[in-house]
Amino acid sequence: MKGLRKVLTPFAPDQSGAVSVLYGLGGLIVIIDAGGCTGNICGFDEPRWQDVRSAVFSAGLRDMDAILGRDKLLVSKIADACKRIDASFVALIGTPVPATIATDYKALKRMLENEISLPILTVPTDGMKLYDEGEALAYKALADEFVSKDGGLEKIVLGKTPLTYGSDFEDNALDDYRRIGASTKTVAASASGIEAAKKLGVSYEVYSSAAAKIAGSIPSGKVLVCHDEVFGKTLRDKGIDCDIATFFTLHDEIRKACDRKITEEDEFTDLVMNGGYDIVVADESLKPLAEGFGGMWIDAPFFALSGRR
Amino acid sequence: MAGKAITYTAAQIAKLGKDNIPAELLSGHGLVYSSPATLAYNSPGAEGFGVKRAGLAVPESVMLIVSPGCCGRNTSIVSSMPQYKDRFFYLLMDETDLVTGRHLKRIPEAVCEVVSFLDGQKGKKPKVVMICITCVDALLGTDMERVCTACENALGNGTRVRPCYMYALTREGRRPPMVHVRQTLYSLLEPMDKDPKSVNIIGNFAPLEDGELQRYLTEAGVKHIRQVSTCGTYEEFLNMASANFNIVTNPEARASAHDMSQRLGIPYIELTRIHDVERTAAQYKAFANAVGIEIDLSEDEARAKEAVGSLKESFPDLSFNIGECLNADPFELALSLVRYGFKVDEIYGTLAPEKFRYVSRLAELSPDTKIFCNMEPTMLYYDMSASRAHISLGKDAAFYCPNIPNVAWNSDIQPFGFQGITKLMETIKQTMKEARA
Repeated sequence: MKGLRKVLTPFAPDQSGAVSVLYGLGGLIVIIDAGGCTGNICGFDEPRWQDVRSAVFSAGLRDMDAILGRDKLLVSKIADACKRIDASFVALIGTPVPATIATDYKALKRMLENEISLPILTVPTDGMKLYDEGEALAYKALADEFVSKDGGLEKIVLGKTPLTYGSDFEDNALDDYRRIGASTKTVAASASGIEAAKKLGVSYEVYSSAAAKIAGSIPSGKVLVCHDEVFGKTLRDKGIDCDIATFFTLHDEIRKACDRKITEEDEFTDLVMNGGYDIVVADESLKPLAEGFGGMWIDAPFFALSGRR
Repeated sequence: MAGKAITYTAAQIAKLGKDNIPAELLSGHGLVYSSPATLAYNSPGAEGFGVKRAGLAVPESVMLIVSPGCCGRNTSIVSSMPQYKDRFFYLLMDETDLVTGRHLKRIPEAVCEVVSFLDGQKGKKPKVVMICITCVDALLGTDMERVCTACENALGNGTRVRPCYMYALTREGRRPPMVHVRQTLYSLLEPMDKDPKSVNIIGNFAPLEDGELQRYLTEAGVKHIRQVSTCGTYEEFLNMASANFNIVTNPEARASAHDMSQRLGIPYIELTRIHDVERTAAQYKAFANAVGIEIDLSEDEARAKEAVGSLKESFPDLSFNIGECLNADPFELALSLVRYGFKVDEIYGTLAPEKFRYVSRLAELSPDTKIFCNMEPTMLYYDMSASRAHISLGKDAAFYCPNIPNVAWNSDIQPFGFQGITKLMETIKQTMKEARA
């Protein structure tokens, strides 16, 4: 049945992706929710929360705030926090609540700009899309607000967040985004990195260092890679003859005829069991969907998918 | 002001009065910081009980979470625990569902598929399916009773289907999520003949530690003491409807107890977890009078007094920092410790008007005790270097005070009464001894 999960837990949502990109940039990040969405991010999807504090707050919406559309109250809460929290910008992150009440982000931005002398970023995530789309929206918000062609930046890696690569993530500084337009080398490490580079209009290399590391350990045979598309593409570039399947974005520039964008549990089961593969490279949390698969399974941890650290 | 956590002393708060508690100390006034205590409420994960774990307290139940993907995301922590294997399922909403509400028509089909999956592949048909819905359906005004009836009709096999409301939007409302989920659980009970020798303890989702309360009841002739968490089967759980009376040990279960008194004719009496030995004794005596039994408190009371005295003798000037991720009300616990002659330097809690009485008394005995709010954004800047505490209580206090010994005191199993006081004092003493060894 479409949308029914009997084995897997939900994947990292777009709002987690958005925070993943903005975390550590020195902003005051306000998740427009009642508390649960922020709890999911700080308590689960954002591993840096345990080690490095960042000003990530819940808007603390209550039912009547949402029903009556109390935007002025929200603006007042944020303005009050800005007096007491040092921040270089304010980012508003959407969740299902503003999606339900059709929050006008442009209006919120204008209202805040009248109260606060900081750049205001709005990221219209809704908790129903996947993390890579939220990451792409956050990159877009950064690009719209900060990017210039001034200054030289030797190299920047985009899309290498903890949600795709766990502890092997790579942070950028806010200043990197200010100078990204003059970057001599841009690496797109995941689907959101490709989107970001496209938005910026810079040339980029598609490369996953995590995939490159395991390429040598994959024996010959018919291989299915189920991970981020860049992970699969890098393996292919390293000489692995593989098909790519992904629950996340699959860009046309990566996709070959044998590749698949999948959505449901059953699709993955069908692919593995009937695709004639000798080897599957994927997070082992997917294994219960392929009970009876007789080939080799190479574990490729993918936090956004399994929540495994 | 930037760079400093906002705090007020007990004396300052008492002077302002119950109706003028500073907004920074209250829930629901500003942006919310994700402190460990906030996360324990908003994203309980593997520890503590949020709506998801609580909804599955009924034996032989499973849960279908109908929501945007983000709401079920962290359930993977709970799902990995053996007792929750094959008990969580998800029907993911998309943007079209949000606009049209079409997901509601798909719920009966999803419930049937889940039950069929469990019955066929796993060989364990559930007795109850809890349908957990979230803020989106709160705002859409979804009539879940109707949806659940449609699910029961679609199943047609007697399996009960009940709604669980994970509505963070209603945290400060009249029926917050953790009150509502208790009402949902006990709404499954059907009227049955009363057994004068049966009593329920309702309050938490894990059992009360086996202690003096159960012994007093047994000595008074009670044969069956039931708690939802100790019922091994759904049938055993249903027998809770035969209780002569309910003992409520958590105020969040008060509404359920009221429901049960109205619907099932089961009266209730409330017992509060307190850490003052004399007040605990007074409460038990009032309880015994109310239910018409005789109980002998002397040994348990003496043991608790001895434990307090022993801690006081070993560490006479002990100073505490107290959080709220613990099996106690931090304000009540602080007051009790101060009454015993200890010091309380800082409390990390969320003040509410009903807790003002503790702060008011605390102000008389320990006016300089500082009170911080776990939800306040400036807790980002909390610095414990100014604190003189020797030990912290509560899991969240360990986060704020990493350099002093900590007693987490937050197990699922709930301490209570004299035994709870005794064990807490002994644990504090042991922890301090080890730290100073």
